[in-house]
Amino acid sequence: MSVNGDTASISGIDSNDQQAAYIFTRHEDVPVLPAKRRRGGRSSINGLHHDAAEIRFESLMGGIEGPEFVDLRMKLYRESWGATEGRIQTILEAANEDTLSKVTDFVLNTTIPEGMGTLPTGFIATGPSIASQSLLFKQIAGRLKSQINGPVVTLRSGDATNLKAALKQIIRDTTHQGVDPVDDDYMLAGHDGPNLLNYDLELLHRYVVAHNSERVVVAFQDSEAFDPVLLADIIKLFDCWIDRLPFTLLFGIATSVELFHERLSRAASRCLYGTQFDVEQTSSILERVFQVIVGPYVPLRLGPNLLSSLMARQHDHVQSIQVFTNSLKYAYMFHFYTNPLSILTQPRKKTDETIQSLQPLHIQTVRELPSFRRLIEALIGDGDKDRSIHAQDMLQNNSILLKEMEIYSCMNSTKLLNLWRRMCVLTRSNKMTLSKIELYLQAFKGTLNGSDTVRGILDSIKHMAPGDLISLVDTITGVVKTGDSDYQLEGWLQDDQEFVSKLQDLRMKTLKLYDEAKKAGKPVRSSYAAHHKGVRTTVIAQKVQLSYEKSTLSKHDLEFTGVVDSLTVVLKEYLTFDQPQTWFLSEVWITDFVSPSKDVFTPRPRHVLENSLSNPSDKLPGCDPSVEILSSSTAPTAILYNMYLESGSIINIADLKTSFFSIMEGEDSDDLDEKTLLMLFYQALAELKLLGMIKQSRKKVDHLAKSAWRGL
Amino acid sequence: MLSLPNELLLSTINSAFPCRQQIIRSLAILLSLKTSKNIVLYGSNATGKSAIAKAVLGLLSKSLPNQGTTLRHAIIRTAECITPRHLVEKTVRAVADVVGYKASNRCESTSQMVNELEKMAFWMQSQHSYPSSRLVLAFDGIDRQSMHTAALPALAKLAELIPGVTCVFIVTNAMNGFLHAPGVPHIHFPSYTKAELQQILSHIVPTPQLSGGEGETKDVWFRFCGIVWDSLSKHSSADLVSMRSLCFRLWPRFIRPILDGTHTAKEFSKVMVVSKYLFQDEAALVPSIVSEAKIPIGTDVPRTMPHGIASQLPYYSRLLLVAAYFASHNKPATDQLFFMKGAAPKRRKKGGGTAKTRTSISNHRKISRKLLGPQAFIMERMLAIFSAILADADGRGKYAKGRAFGDVAGSSDVQMAIATLMSLRLIIKTSNSGDVLEGTSKYRVAVNWDVIRAVARSVGVEPEDYLEE
Repeated sequence: MSVNGDTASISGIDSNDQQAAYIFTRHEDVPVLPAKRRRGGRSSINGLHHDAAEIRFESLMGGIEGPEFVDLRMKLYRESWGATEGRIQTILEAANEDTLSKVTDFVLNTTIPEGMGTLPTGFIATGPSIASQSLLFKQIAGRLKSQINGPVVTLRSGDATNLKAALKQIIRDTTHQGVDPVDDDYMLAGHDGPNLLNYDLELLHRYVVAHNSERVVVAFQDSEAFDPVLLADIIKLFDCWIDRLPFTLLFGIATSVELFHERLSRAASRCLYGTQFDVEQTSSILERVFQVIVGPYVPLRLGPNLLSSLMARQHDHVQSIQVFTNSLKYAYMFHFYTNPLSILTQPRKKTDETIQSLQPLHIQTVRELPSFRRLIEALIGDGDKDRSIHAQDMLQNNSILLKEMEIYSCMNSTKLLNLWRRMCVLTRSNKMTLSKIELYLQAFKGTLNGSDTVRGILDSIKHMAPGDLISLVDTITGVVKTGDSDYQLEGWLQDDQEFVSKLQDLRMKTLKLYDEAKKAGKPVRSSYAAHHKGVRTTVIAQKVQLSYEKSTLSKHDLEFTGVVDSLTVVLKEYLTFDQPQTWFLSEVWITDFVSPSKDVFTPRPRHVLENSLSNPSDKLPGCDPSVEILSSSTAPTAILYNMYLESGSIINIADLKTSFFSIMEGEDSDDLDEKTLLMLFYQALAELKLLGMIKQSRKKVDHLAKSAWRGL
Repeated sequence: MLSLPNELLLSTINSAFPCRQQIIRSLAILLSLKTSKNIVLYGSNATGKSAIAKAVLGLLSKSLPNQGTTLRHAIIRTAECITPRHLVEKTVRAVADVVGYKASNRCESTSQMVNELEKMAFWMQSQHSYPSSRLVLAFDGIDRQSMHTAALPALAKLAELIPGVTCVFIVTNAMNGFLHAPGVPHIHFPSYTKAELQQILSHIVPTPQLSGGEGETKDVWFRFCGIVWDSLSKHSSADLVSMRSLCFRLWPRFIRPILDGTHTAKEFSKVMVVSKYLFQDEAALVPSIVSEAKIPIGTDVPRTMPHGIASQLPYYSRLLLVAAYFASHNKPATDQLFFMKGAAPKRRKKGGGTAKTRTSISNHRKISRKLLGPQAFIMERMLAIFSAILADADGRGKYAKGRAFGDVAGSSDVQMAIATLMSLRLIIKTSNSGDVLEGTSKYRVAVNWDVIRAVARSVGVEPEDYLEE
């Protein structure tokens, strides 16, 4: 609201807001004229980087935290986020790779059969996340520029509002792509006669002739946002030129090609000869990105609450990897900025060093961790004397605590690795593909133990034929031996020797039974798989009696049942999942705060505005919550807003003014004369108007029309 | 004065454009006349106007010098000119190129163009030793764009102002006196008849060919074209171009039984019966913009429904789209009935109605609202409907636990979703004034019932329950 509002609003309420009039004061450092805008200037980007280098984290724990720790946190944030971001970027690039190569191939090699339209057109079905379109089209442009001889122009709906502007943009972008733009400019300026108009495609033609271009690729990034009439005009114009200019069109389609076709005029759509390209859906990319960010070796993990809120937002609102990455980055930033113990997320050796050099206050912080309390409670809980003494030591003796921290941080990484291994086995032994995100959420919520997924697997084993059983055991041992690239795990045979040998034993037994049964010519089945209860019907005196009869199981069957039982036990034993959040020091590497992320990424401006106007004491520091809202001590705008809420869809201004005056004058008629009151009234009214809540009614002259309802 | 064009040369054009002898001859004669000022060629799409004009002009520019005159021609494709000024510049440039004159000034208006053209015509006459040299300007498709029609009378005057200039106007529709000039000869290019179309198309050898060689292929193709005309093109008043593309598209599927060996090329009528479905499906007349070449021939082309957005849009965007559809297709007065919980039917006014209400009833709109298409609605109303249907929508999906309107009310995500729907043109803003998200700005939904039904079902809303009629 004021000139320096930007700076003042950070610290809270701008005092100028309540002023009746504003005096414009120019800052000394503001240049008189804004710097001339330049196209493609890179200096500003460099400047940003420069600034970012100077930003430092704040010292935590009331400023006691040593500067070396502050710097360490910052360094850790940069390193860990840098690594994660790099990996995400690789995935995103790889995800589009397929589309890119297809599009390039299409642009290079399409020939149109006779009588099938004239313009080769690629429809790239990107899905509705507009944010990811820009990355894709940047990649496409980059790829095409390197692969084909000819200009590549990307048009956005904002650039091209009419035909002239679109053509200008195409020509400008083309001529600035050349190797030596100066030369091009000279050539395009026209060696014969006056200059051409800057929207004349003749310019493009000259460029194409001069550079011997094979293709002119024009990509419409958000083609739905273009005016369909404009698109039709462009297409028809290109069609006129196709005998001289080798156009290829690319459209980014966010909805569907059919909808796009419906909007395009018949004459224009007849010119197109299209091929559709599908881009990998956001959800499957998300799954892969997810695996990267939670893998067993990353320093920081998202807690279940935060993760499920992010996932819900993906599903409900955005569906875009870019937004997800941003939220993730924010989570990293938040963790390293606010958590003094985040310095312990380093590799093992360095963590040990750091632990030894901790400040006393750090140790105090550790003792206040919920997970520490849980640990102590567990130690005391069973009444064992040694353990109680140990707990006491940890509470009192710093050096013992530090030693314990070293042990636990080492143990945590092992436990975590084990957790991952078990999740991997669980995924592989399940026939249906499990959502890894879902699995992770369950594991971190601690609900995976005895969950439907685990039970489902154990139940399915019971009904398996020997052949299936063997292949299942083979799969599991295979995973243990060789690891899983999806989970970024290497083989862990040496750690789970016992488990594997048990499996192998059972496998041998099954195989033996299988072979024997084969020789006997009778299939082996476990007692669970066999319908061992037959129904026998007997008719006695015209009454039907049903009786159950146990079908007999062969010796082999019984033996096999035993094998299945023991396999179930082994697997059940193996597939136990520890909830990571209960581990001591888990706060160091799990971040699970939902509200900061929510505040930043999903603000609710309207809701907040309405709430603060209807109940100013919540937001304005000077307001007394006990005072009734409709009293003179409240801000005039809030009074007016509350009256506004009570009124119907049109409001008589005179009535409004009368009641406003009566409230303001009501209790203590201070020194508010009528002029001041009127001024306050008008100011409040103007502010409501500015917020888009009222406007002049067309139905009645002296009335206001309500244009915003509360709570929408 | 009258020197007829060389018949021998004309015959080469005749062979290139079958069924057009008379027209070609009259055009050539008219162009050969020194006194010709303006000539109008008119006829519907794809009747050979531009191509024949180009061929005849090209021929005359080559052949006339023998007869003591020189003829230069410039064809201006007005479809390439996007502003009137562009047309003027293009004309001057084209003429300059033809006569080899170095134009130096910019041309911004019609009067400047006349000046320049005059200069160039004089220059051309001074350059050539022939007694008379002529310049022909052909404006191709000048009635297609409304901005160029204003220039027509001025262009028609060109020939009168500058000696030795002839203007040819190639138009689709020659309205009576559209040039505001008297006595302009018109040449009509009639649409091709079935026999003519068949004759023209028979010059093409289609692919894939039959095993019997070119002769057999041509034979089948000829009869096939006749059937396509009778069954499909005749009723859709298709021109040569669209008929040709239709034939090309249907051909591979039509001859499939022959290629498979189930029928021989001789059994034309049997093949036709087998492929009867091809000629009954009128969908072929509206070709998809995605080429069907990728789909293997023979399998029925899958008619993909526009369900894409139903599965791809985020949950709340889908609900907002459905809400927008309801807002567009319901009367605001019925909102209470459909969207308010425990809504009782509106209390009727008791007592005698006034005269005014009676008349309003008799004036009541008779046209069904569905036929009127989507109506404009204000944003606040749509948001209110959104909040109402959100309660009924199921929270299907993995992460949905207790979605409530209170959680999203006034959130920036909802506003972003609306903005996204608008940029995808699923919702269109109809009022110009005001901010995008302002409560009173007006919008209209831009998707049809089929799409909405799929979208609504995907979020668990039964759209029929909320629509009047």
